[in-house]
Amino acid sequence: MEKSHTVYSTRTKIIRPLLTLFLVIVAAFTLYPLIYIILGSFKENAELLRGGTKLLPEKFILDNYKEAWEKANFARYTINSIIISVGIMTVTLISTSMAGYVFARKNFRGKELLYSLFVAFMFVNVGSVTLRPLFELAVKVKMNTSFISIILIGAGTGQATYIFLVRGYMNTIAKELDEAAKIDGCTFFQIYYMIILPLLKPILATTGLLSFRAGWNEYIMPLVFTMSNEKMRPLTVGVTMLKNSGDGTAAWNLMFAGAAISIIPIVIIYLFTSKYFMSGMTSGAVKG
Amino acid sequence: MTGKGLAVLLCFAQEVHMNNKKKLSFSQKLAKARSRGDFSAFFMLLPSVFLLTTMSIYPFFWLFRYICYDYNGFKAYFTGSRNFFRMLEDQTFWRSVIHTFEYAGMKLIIIIPLSLLLAVLLNQKLKGTGIFRGIYFMPTVISAAIYSLIFGFIFAVYNGVLNASLQKLGIISAPIDWLGNASIVMISITIVAVWGGFGNYMILFISGMTSIPEEIYESSRIDGANGVQTFGYITLPMLSPVLKVILMLAITTAFKDYQSILVLTDGGPNNRSHVMFSYIYKLIFSSSTTPQIGYATMLSVVAALMIGMVTALYLFVSRKLDDVL
Repeated sequence: MEKSHTVYSTRTKIIRPLLTLFLVIVAAFTLYPLIYIILGSFKENAELLRGGTKLLPEKFILDNYKEAWEKANFARYTINSIIISVGIMTVTLISTSMAGYVFARKNFRGKELLYSLFVAFMFVNVGSVTLRPLFELAVKVKMNTSFISIILIGAGTGQATYIFLVRGYMNTIAKELDEAAKIDGCTFFQIYYMIILPLLKPILATTGLLSFRAGWNEYIMPLVFTMSNEKMRPLTVGVTMLKNSGDGTAAWNLMFAGAAISIIPIVIIYLFTSKYFMSGMTSGAVKG
Repeated sequence: MTGKGLAVLLCFAQEVHMNNKKKLSFSQKLAKARSRGDFSAFFMLLPSVFLLTTMSIYPFFWLFRYICYDYNGFKAYFTGSRNFFRMLEDQTFWRSVIHTFEYAGMKLIIIIPLSLLLAVLLNQKLKGTGIFRGIYFMPTVISAAIYSLIFGFIFAVYNGVLNASLQKLGIISAPIDWLGNASIVMISITIVAVWGGFGNYMILFISGMTSIPEEIYESSRIDGANGVQTFGYITLPMLSPVLKVILMLAITTAFKDYQSILVLTDGGPNNRSHVMFSYIYKLIFSSSTTPQIGYATMLSVVAALMIGMVTALYLFVSRKLDDVL
């Protein structure tokens, strides 16, 4: 493409810049809310409440973050968010890599049935009502005040896609490797642990990122589980709760800072790993 | 609760059994199964099967248990068909059904053409397309709750930046109540949904397009096809299998959305923006009223059936279109 001496017609010459302009406008529309919230988080609350169209703060202050961190419990919320998302990621990585391996390499009766159960329940969606029995179950086993319940539910509801991803990737790994390892005396689990796992790295990176993101962004489920337990709230719940609390209008600066705290880490991760995110989304959805 | 899981596991154990056709003693069978890794396979599958049974299958069957009950979280009373008749008369619910279709329709009409257009423009191997893709996809990594909150600030009536900008440009004279005006609120919600989702569909479309061979484009260029013709005669027909999958995904997603609405408007004003699932959520988890779980399970099943019917209808229509075209 780069080498060809394409001669553009005059019409193309007019359309090209227009299309680029269109792309730039959409990009601005996409980026604006993020820039707005991040720059806004450095504004004084009075300025936020006054409104206006200015993007840059009149006076650049860090107090919002300080106040959010120290007084409004955001240090706690951030730690909770990290615990939940790292927890969901870890459980997902362990359980789905093993399941994907077994589904790809082991034959047993009912395998496809079991697999289609996983897929079917990915599509069955009855909304938030399923959180009620899970909450009751968590109360029964006395885990409703522990992160374990939130982590397991988060990992459980998302796992089908990841199992699918791992299984698909397994098919690209030569079976001869397994056989060679078996001749060398590896057991079924050792083959997984010593041979397959290192080869799965690319797909595990995708799985890890997607499940981390899912955990970090989880909202309704932790909201339900931390309704009466403020100390366990992740950032998403903590920030939106400020809106519903009585002094919501006054606490704009805290919400701006809180939203920024929630957005910035995941966006930074995204900037460095966007390829994995995009490839994960596409292979999970289209080929499914 | 783990009945289903047990059945699956039993199947598994039986299989170990069946594969040994020759008469072997139990210990021999055991040794053989062990050497084939049957036991490790079983234990390696256990975590995901456990999660599936407890987190997906169990809650699903739990639903049907309370469908005929009035259940407030503490006590359940059998009420027979009362939930069903209450549903028939529940204006708010049926309005929320209409809103669901309204929301899904508006979202799809904007998001699919937009993301398809962007995908076509960005599918060229030109400089800068990677950056645009990266920007457009960025909203999908952000929590729906958080970006809805941000749009809540942007849409704010008196100090929101949208009204301030529009007033400065002279487009409107008085501030618009984006989230409080019954005739505008759905449009505002759609804007937020489009913002949060179009990058996702764009990437899906692009990945579908990369499977179209480059030679076809080249030959069409030689034949003198312009951009619009190329799209209409090559990209779209070649993309149609992928397009169908993406459309189905988009439809089911649009019908399931409710997080964003809960944060933006909480169903208001006057239930104008309630979709099925946000209304059901309020019935179960609202802190201001007693939970009406039995009734909510009834509505959930109906909602799930409706989504299933829409999906089936879509599949039917798309297949029929295949025959015609």
